[in-house]
Amino acid sequence: MTTPIVAARDLRKRYGALQAVDGVSFEIAEGEVFGILGPNGAGKTTTLEMIEGMRPIDSGSAVVDGIDVTVDPRGVKARIGIQLQASSFFDELNLVELLELFGHLYDRQVDAAALLADVELTEKARTQVRTLSGGQKQRFSIASALVNEPRVLFLDEPTTGLDPQARHHLWGLVRQIRDRGHTVVLTTHYMEEAEELCDRVAIMDRGVIVALDTPQRLVDALLGRGFTKERVERLANLEDVFLDLTGHGLREEG
Amino acid sequence: MRPFGIRLGMFWALFVASVLMFVRNRAAVFFSLFLPLIIMLIFGVLNFEGTTTIQLGLVDEAHNQASAKLIDGLAAFEYIEPTTGSRGDQLAELADGNRDFVLVIPTGFDPQPGQVTGLVAYASTADPAQAQVGQGLLQQAVGTALFAPAGTPPGGSFGTPPVSFESVQSRDLGYIDFLVPGIVGMTVMQLGLFGVAFGFVHLKRTGALRRLFATPTSPAYFLGAQVASRLIICVAQVAILFGIGIWFGLQMFGDYLTLAAIVLLAAIIFLAVGFAIAGWAKNEDQAAPVANLISLPMMFLSGVFFPRDAMPDFLANITQFMPLTYVNQALRAVVNEGAGLASLGPELLGMGVWAVITFVLAVRMFRWE
Repeated sequence: MTTPIVAARDLRKRYGALQAVDGVSFEIAEGEVFGILGPNGAGKTTTLEMIEGMRPIDSGSAVVDGIDVTVDPRGVKARIGIQLQASSFFDELNLVELLELFGHLYDRQVDAAALLADVELTEKARTQVRTLSGGQKQRFSIASALVNEPRVLFLDEPTTGLDPQARHHLWGLVRQIRDRGHTVVLTTHYMEEAEELCDRVAIMDRGVIVALDTPQRLVDALLGRGFTKERVERLANLEDVFLDLTGHGLREEG
Repeated sequence: MRPFGIRLGMFWALFVASVLMFVRNRAAVFFSLFLPLIIMLIFGVLNFEGTTTIQLGLVDEAHNQASAKLIDGLAAFEYIEPTTGSRGDQLAELADGNRDFVLVIPTGFDPQPGQVTGLVAYASTADPAQAQVGQGLLQQAVGTALFAPAGTPPGGSFGTPPVSFESVQSRDLGYIDFLVPGIVGMTVMQLGLFGVAFGFVHLKRTGALRRLFATPTSPAYFLGAQVASRLIICVAQVAILFGIGIWFGLQMFGDYLTLAAIVLLAAIIFLAVGFAIAGWAKNEDQAAPVANLISLPMMFLSGVFFPRDAMPDFLANITQFMPLTYVNQALRAVVNEGAGLASLGPELLGMGVWAVITFVLAVRMFRWE
């Protein structure tokens, strides 16, 4: 691996009696889609937020695009895009005004129309965020994280709460973003999402990484240990049935 | 702060966003602009001026039995509200519109029926029609107090009128002149307490503030823009209230720069209170009772709608130290009496002390998350 764009070394974070993150290390190569998987409370979000400069690091280090986040958190924030798990914006501003405001926060002029076109929200340009559907909100949130053409885009559970159509649509958007050369780091607890999108995944549990590799190699390793499913894998699953019956088209109210 | 100075574009964008967020928020606009206007209209229509009480200043330069008898006699009349004091003080009060007449009892006062008594009453020129009625009432009251036996109902003629009148140029202060400065004070308080506290707590609870700090902007820019936008909105509000007040007959005796200075100092006090509440509260439900607990007593005890003279002494003594009391006093002194900053020492001191207290509170209680 050449110089990694994100390097986390032995990150730790404690909340009272809870060791939320207990020595997490990994490196992410430029252009990669990197997934952090794990059940709720595994420490995924805390890990992400320490790397983003959104949360103080107890011990360890995180370097993004050559900048140590403990030394220059704003320098890191200037180079990355962040989609928070619960994204909320100023109620009284419309989408264009919000994107232009965010542009100014990075000290740059933005082409709000182009950003909205990228996430297919052109028709909603003059509406407020609260009128958007769940999937539209997530897409807008991603557009707002792209205003500074970030070197790394962090997505924290981007598809949680979305219906299958909206989820598949968002996956397409993430692939487009990767194809334009952005590195993407995302957390999820949907395994299918990780398999679909991620070049490599880190599986976290109780604050530590228990496995880190490509999805295919992780599956191969499991099979190599003699694992067999109780039922033979079917060629289609219930989600395929659901999408076949209801179509891939987005369902968006409003 | 950045080593290479303030980024004006960033500040301006946050400032504009902050103003837009305020003017597009219907609840905020209603509570901070329409509510004061409605209150002003209601109290304006009610009109509390219809009383026939004569505010009488008494200057006793005789200090003899006759003058004492006259003063006691006048105090017995229900429609006379006497205040005794020196000639200079009472004439100043007359000029400020706080007295209808000032009656001077001359040295060597010794009244005899049918003869010139030497009593001179200075009359306000403010409301000629009312002065005419007042003069008649005063003549009768003085005549009765001097010459009628106790218990005799007032009336009858005394031959030579006992009092001669002189006109003094004075201000005609109506209820609108009292009300508008009070409403301005109240509006500034509401803007700080509710405009800041609720908007900010909302941003904090929903996570919009967190999203903002996922960018490289600094909290100082955001706070600076918030404060600047609220101060501008505050000045605009006061201008609107004043415009409407003047349309209703408000008279402005002071200068607008002095008024603006008082309004800005008041805004700083109440913005600081708002930020202290916003910083402490986790959600709107926590902020609301505290904001109301602070604002309601001041709304009714700091002389917004009614003069504080009507209060029992113990209450007046306690409430004279409330920040809005100082603000209202200063605003009325500027608007009604044309006071300059130099003559507002006590009020400015009171406001200054409160500004320091609230600023320290805000800094200590403020939390971003």
